[in-house]
Amino acid sequence: MALRRYLLSIPIFAFIFIVQESVVTQLRVPFGGFSLLLIFTLIWAAMSTPEIGALTGFGAGILMDLSQSSPGPMGHWTLVLILAGYTVAFLGYGDDNIRANPINIVFITTIGVVASQFVFLLLGLLLGQEIGSTSHILFLLAGSAFWTAIISPLLLKVISFTHSNVFGTRSLL
Amino acid sequence: MRYGGDNRGRLLIIVLIVTSLFLITLDLRGVGVIDGVRTGTQTALTPVQKLGSWAVKPFRNFISDVTHLGRTQNQINKLKAENEKLRSRLQNRKIADAQLTQLKSVLDLAGTAEYKVVSARVISQGSSTSFTQTVSIDAGTSSGITQNMTVISGFGLVGVVKAAYANSALVQLASDPAFRIGVRIAGTQQIGILSGQGTRKGVLQLLDNTTQVKVGDVLLARGSQNGRPFVPGAPIGEVTSVDNSPGAVSQTAEVKFFANFSTLGVVAVVVSNPKSDPRDALVPPKPRPTPLPTVTVYASPDTATASQSPSPTKPSPTKPSPSKSSATR
Repeated sequence: MALRRYLLSIPIFAFIFIVQESVVTQLRVPFGGFSLLLIFTLIWAAMSTPEIGALTGFGAGILMDLSQSSPGPMGHWTLVLILAGYTVAFLGYGDDNIRANPINIVFITTIGVVASQFVFLLLGLLLGQEIGSTSHILFLLAGSAFWTAIISPLLLKVISFTHSNVFGTRSLL
Repeated sequence: MRYGGDNRGRLLIIVLIVTSLFLITLDLRGVGVIDGVRTGTQTALTPVQKLGSWAVKPFRNFISDVTHLGRTQNQINKLKAENEKLRSRLQNRKIADAQLTQLKSVLDLAGTAEYKVVSARVISQGSSTSFTQTVSIDAGTSSGITQNMTVISGFGLVGVVKAAYANSALVQLASDPAFRIGVRIAGTQQIGILSGQGTRKGVLQLLDNTTQVKVGDVLLARGSQNGRPFVPGAPIGEVTSVDNSPGAVSQTAEVKFFANFSTLGVVAVVVSNPKSDPRDALVPPKPRPTPLPTVTVYASPDTATASQSPSPTKPSPTKPSPSKSSATR
């Protein structure tokens, strides 16, 4: 049952991936921009069980690895997002004080995005990638946090509505 | 209640992590399937990306303008300055091209006549307030130019060196009212004297009153002793009208100079007399009239039709019309 519902979310993520690749990457917004798919995945995971969060991270990670802009090997983002999805879901699961509060979800998502990117960088460093200067990395991470804090509240209602329809649960938001 | 997880959940996480590590390993080992999947995805996404790029272009430009407000202004200023620079360079290039064309034609002419020449640029036009027609050139005695040397352009005679200085020379133009030159008509070899009139037209006075001169006859320089001040054979101009008034002592004709004195850029000073008289070799070829397409329009009040034909046609006698008019270009 849960797997069937999980499969239902695949076209949604595929759509977000296409939007990310064809629209968001073309915008060239300042401060490094943002990853719509990453934000979407973490918000989605924050509303799910840890298993679904991990599975969501797995699917979204695969998509992010397929992205042209992904510098790492296939599986790099997958590994990071499995951990991120599971962690974000784990933090919020069973505590309605967190899951029912939009501010908490935005906060968790923002921290999750920055942490995911940081882990991605560390993993890339271990895999022998060039990561650039520290100041540039800090600038990009700050920019990513800024954009996530801006974008997340705008997407929250839509994602909550879609999530509740896919998984047949009542939206808490 | 805090989620504690169960064995099935833990197993799922482990399987997913192992899968991702497996993917990383495969990719780092260069397995072709992984690259193929990535390439396939990109191939499929490219048209969508192009569409997206087209769709978000105005928005992207707006963001770019907002974020690069200061830089955009600087860039505009920089581009403006660069544009001015390029425009100036283009103008200089046009001038250089025109001078090159003039130089080429003057060297062609000098080469045909076997004149030894020194090329020079016209650096100034003489003042017209003194009622003389002169130009200054940027070559003088240091280049072998001395007084009374013939000056030609690509079209023919320009004038004669009146004064030579170290690095410049003053040239009296053929249009100068004080200018006189012995000429002969190409072909018939009739001789006369051509004098400048202050314009592009001179007056020819034939020495033999019994000979006939025609419109279109070309005048060449007769030449002086040792080629100074005039070398033989230099083309001068063309007869444009003939004065055949009865009772005149000598026949006169109006001559239009080949050289256009107002557009002189590069000229050549003949510094050495040719070994042989080029005779009529420098007569410029007659210009070929290019056929112009003519358009004849017939209009009649009853039909109000118009027809176009590529050649002049006469109105048909079978269709007379009182308001018939024709215009030919």
